[in-house]
Amino acid sequence: MAIIERPDTVPALAGAGAPAVVTPAKAFGVLRRPVATTGWRSWVFTVDHKKLGIMYGVVAMFFFLVGGVEALLIRLQLAGPEGTVLSAGLYNEMFTMHATTMIFLFVMPMAAAFANYMIPLQIGARDVAFPRINAFGFWCFLAGGLFLNTSWFLGGAADGGWFMYQPNANALFSPSHGIDFWGLGLQITGIASLTGALNLIVTILNMRAPGMTLMKMPIFTWMILVVQFLLVFAIPVITVALFLLMFQREFDATFFDVSSGADPLLWQHLFWIFGHPEVYILVLPAFGMVSEILPVFSRKPLFGYRFVVFSGAAIGFVGWGVWAHHMFASGLGPVSVAVFSVATMLIAIPTGVKIVNWTLTMWGGKLWFTTSMLFAIGLVVQFTIGGLSGVTHAVAPSDTQQTDTYYIVAHFHYVIFGGAVLGFFAGFYYWWPKMFGKMLSERIGKWNFWLMIIGMNLTFGPMHVIGLQGMPRRTMNWTEARAGEGFFNIGFWNRVSSVGSFVLAVGVGMFLLNVWQTHKKSSTTAKAPLDPWDARSLEWMTASPPKEHNFDSIPTVHALDEFFHRKYEVDHDSGDVRKVASGEEILAAEEAKGDKHIHLPSPSYWPVILAFALPVMGYGVIYNRLLIVVGGFIVLLAMFAWALEPSVADDSDYDPPADGGGTNKELATIG
Amino acid sequence: MSHGAVNNQRITKLATVRTVPYMTRRRTSRRRALVLGLTAASAVVLGGCAKDAPQDTWQPKGENAQKIHDLQWPIFMVAGIVGVIVMSVVAFVVVRYRDKGQPMPEQTHGKPALEIALTILPALILVGVGIPTVSTIFDLAESSDTECIINVTGQQWWWEYDYPAQEGCGGIPTPIVTSGQLVIPANTNVMLRLTSRDVIHSFWIPSLNGKKDTVPGRVHSLRMQANQPGIYAGQCTEFCGLSHANMKMEAVALDQADFDTWVANQLEEYVRPEAGSQAALGEATFTANCAYCHQVNGLSTTSPDGEVTPVLANPDQFVVSGAAPNLTHLMTRNTFAGATWDLLTQECRDRVWNASPEEFGALYLQGVTEECLNAVDLREWLRNAPAKKPMYASDAQKAESGGKVRGMPALGLNETQIDQIIAYLLERN
Amino acid sequence: MADIAVHEPVSDGHAQGGHTTSTGLSNNKMAMWLFLGSECLLFGGLISTYMLYRGRHPADAGPDQIFDIPFTSMSSFVLLMSSLTMVLAVSAAAQKDDRRTNLWLTVTALLGATFVGGQVYEFTAFYREGVGFTSSLFSSSFFTLTGFHGVHVTVGIIMLMALVGVNKRGRIPGDKAEVVELVGLYWHFVDVVWIIIFTLVYLIPT
Repeated sequence: MAIIERPDTVPALAGAGAPAVVTPAKAFGVLRRPVATTGWRSWVFTVDHKKLGIMYGVVAMFFFLVGGVEALLIRLQLAGPEGTVLSAGLYNEMFTMHATTMIFLFVMPMAAAFANYMIPLQIGARDVAFPRINAFGFWCFLAGGLFLNTSWFLGGAADGGWFMYQPNANALFSPSHGIDFWGLGLQITGIASLTGALNLIVTILNMRAPGMTLMKMPIFTWMILVVQFLLVFAIPVITVALFLLMFQREFDATFFDVSSGADPLLWQHLFWIFGHPEVYILVLPAFGMVSEILPVFSRKPLFGYRFVVFSGAAIGFVGWGVWAHHMFASGLGPVSVAVFSVATMLIAIPTGVKIVNWTLTMWGGKLWFTTSMLFAIGLVVQFTIGGLSGVTHAVAPSDTQQTDTYYIVAHFHYVIFGGAVLGFFAGFYYWWPKMFGKMLSERIGKWNFWLMIIGMNLTFGPMHVIGLQGMPRRTMNWTEARAGEGFFNIGFWNRVSSVGSFVLAVGVGMFLLNVWQTHKKSSTTAKAPLDPWDARSLEWMTASPPKEHNFDSIPTVHALDEFFHRKYEVDHDSGDVRKVASGEEILAAEEAKGDKHIHLPSPSYWPVILAFALPVMGYGVIYNRLLIVVGGFIVLLAMFAWALEPSVADDSDYDPPADGGGTNKELATIG
Repeated sequence: MSHGAVNNQRITKLATVRTVPYMTRRRTSRRRALVLGLTAASAVVLGGCAKDAPQDTWQPKGENAQKIHDLQWPIFMVAGIVGVIVMSVVAFVVVRYRDKGQPMPEQTHGKPALEIALTILPALILVGVGIPTVSTIFDLAESSDTECIINVTGQQWWWEYDYPAQEGCGGIPTPIVTSGQLVIPANTNVMLRLTSRDVIHSFWIPSLNGKKDTVPGRVHSLRMQANQPGIYAGQCTEFCGLSHANMKMEAVALDQADFDTWVANQLEEYVRPEAGSQAALGEATFTANCAYCHQVNGLSTTSPDGEVTPVLANPDQFVVSGAAPNLTHLMTRNTFAGATWDLLTQECRDRVWNASPEEFGALYLQGVTEECLNAVDLREWLRNAPAKKPMYASDAQKAESGGKVRGMPALGLNETQIDQIIAYLLERN
Repeated sequence: MADIAVHEPVSDGHAQGGHTTSTGLSNNKMAMWLFLGSECLLFGGLISTYMLYRGRHPADAGPDQIFDIPFTSMSSFVLLMSSLTMVLAVSAAAQKDDRRTNLWLTVTALLGATFVGGQVYEFTAFYREGVGFTSSLFSSSFFTLTGFHGVHVTVGIIMLMALVGVNKRGRIPGDKAEVVELVGLYWHFVDVVWIIIFTLVYLIPT
């Protein structure tokens, strides 16, 4: 449904109009442009940010389950002393891939899913700035993720830990192809992140609705903007590291070969210069989500919007100066350690600002405990724990007792699971009616929330004890001899943690059950109301799910929380708030002045073809250099075809509008 | 370990501190707080009587670890208190401001003065944390006051310690090479010089000091000091491949007199097994099967015409790291195979580990006697080492590692040969 | 990124029809600037690696022994000149002078090709002297850094030639002058990076 001819008679609330019948011109020599509006072709060749957002979400969720199964196997292995569920080699592959999958194939793309779907809606745009690049990014992510995971069937996955420290990741010490797949796979997903970042920055900066100044932007959009800037500058650094790794393993260079005089710390610096901003890349999107959700369910604006914006930017900025706190035990020398230790403490300040603002947003509010709100409050509490344990190892001497133990594992799971993942679930429940037009069950949702919260605390809480009792991470087993006795013994808490991981798994299962219950054929779930949460931002000022062109007319923005201010009148003297319009009325008014003929960017074959040529080159690097040439040829061909294909189809590709007028190719907004 | 009254008190205090993070973990309501309080109290009681794990990071036994501890426990306290405050406020807000049908709240966008105050407050706390942190960092990097140097070398998956000839440590006339257990004089500032032969490892004895990575091509230093004689557990903490979990170590502190005895013992001349004994057969079996990697100082072969040739190990030709543990005085140490298995039976091991500081030295210097030998694990190891400890030592794996093994291969010894080797090794004391 | 030219979401070659962006900067140009910002970090990483390893080589096969400074200075000069011709191409495009645009684009591409040819010659010369990609840490990081730069120049040449080809058929979508300007931005960036590399790698003695 790339081409929208909105029939004037169909009201927008009833959904999109009937698909138009089109006859595409030959776009490039032999191939006609794809025009399917239904079936798999409408997804594979789509450039619609909403469809791509959904696909990002579905694939990321799939990888979440893969990474989850890997985690459960790890916990099974550690449930008892000297576990034998996995062999030593398989265990190493398992924790390497668990981290890699969760970080690169779940959290990052899930944030991309939300960003893709919501950003254009939140800023009042009809699509992103570069729709085909957007599609290309998604297919790169999928191609890279699948490529990475084929290593399981081709001689074993990567086994060097997600940090892939050198020289342990050299071919001599890891002879299987796992690390080759890892490096090349991450290069491919890195392309997805980089193109996605360029695209979203341009979209956010350039395509805002008229009147939406930077300080009137929804906070989620702001946080996504910060994250994309981090990506633009962090991805090239890991790209360099991965190239050096590939040259070392595949082309006999010696960048990390100590016998040739190399310094293994080079890898650590490159990796963590990327790796620390990466931490903020993981959590800031979720911070943005709860900063949207807490105000909605507190019926108050975000407390200290400016402070939250600036603290987010400050985290993004200071995040570049703290990478070496991952290396306090690496032997940097006391001066560097002291500098990075203090810098790391500094970053606690803007993070603390966020916690304070979220709490004060709820203060004096009228709290509505929906599942989404519970997850958001859960994030505030759980992330606080992760943040505070973070302060304990910002203190470098203390960190030398804690780094590489389970205490760190506990810390970053409270940060990433308690931060990013709880934020995502808050986002799922909040935006589900927007994306799919149906509400998820609140009853199952509560089960989902409580099981996940209990499960995560049972799983990751004991890891604080285990770590402080001296159990190193990345060890395939623990022994009774070093487990100790009494309340703090490692054995007991390991068992608790393993039980907890299954509670957590059931909690996640509840979400899947909820989705199935809501969307199964026999489901009786009614269509969601237009504005189920009494929301505040622009994405709710259109149909649910939104029509392909998002807005019938691009709204003009007058305030932060535009939608709220159209619904409510605030008496500034008394502070009284009075409802003056319903969401339906506002939408109807917007539709009445809708643009008649909206032409969107057209679908294309080339993004998906270009993306899937990359793993071909990847296999070529590993197995047969000839394949590199084949893949490279496809890449070049697809690039030329892409370059010659106009992003918006020719006039002749559209059926003439009913009223005989010309087309109005609307994408960028006026403002 | 028997705790004195003072000791007990400290542990109780530790336990109290340690419960703070757990308390902060749960979402708080009044009822839950009560339950938690009870749990914490029972934790204190239990933690007070029971023995914590040997690698507990909260029980410093030396000056360096003590410095870290003095720094970290107030920080845990502060973090715990801040956590409790935040959670209490959230709990209060959640209860107080739930939707009870009140009118729409005032649409306030924030109070800058409050915001600034709440930004400055954590900044001040962090200044308070930062100053002692920096001074401790430099204290722990101090090297001018150390009196004894030991080189520590990591390789997959065991630790080698070599003591250069020096006047420190009470005087070491000839270099000593050992592995598994690091023996140091108690109450002495020891400087470890750390490096690695293959990948990055990390040396960590939690009760004596924090960890430091051992990086190939670099030498890092780490201070070590133990207040009392005793044995202190540690483990490699930088992921180093297949048997990372099986790369352990122990530090053994002896008072100066015992340490001198230990040094003298390490430097004792090689004593050939009595001719015709099981051990003598073992010497031949060892020479044929083990000695090309494992050095036993003083071991030699005698040709029929009486010519004596020293047997020198060449692990660099067979092992990726180029090293294998020196077995000259194997039975003076209590562990083998990366300190992962004990040479002592459970009973004898417990006796050493539970000895009081006064008795410890004598007990440790007994080494491994025939009665105390844990033959079960040692036999399994000799039968098929890679089956006991995952290593890269099969023929196929050897081919992938440039024709060298990483770890000890299965030697295909029969039971008779194993008996002989064990008899021979028992005399390496 | 040879394809950046085509994403202008406004009408083909028609007037802009009132389409302005929130910042006033066109989408394409902003994306190109961001991309070049990202590239700075890429070359930053490669240059750091080289600077770390530049002294790690056998005594007779280091930078001081193998570099032919006069030769590389010449090829650097050629690359610098190509920036000038690129400016001429951009200005011709702004004046809607297709013939001169194509001419200067072609000259720029030829100068670029000369530079790449010089680099290929230099690489083979080093290789014949026994300094290959895997000879030492110095050589690995040298070939990686200059190789990455060479690939960037090559991609630029492909973009220039494609631009000439497409322009001749009149198929450049969107604002033609802007497309030329974007390729120009990229080209100048690659030039500036070379100035830094040339200074750090060739001119500063180890």
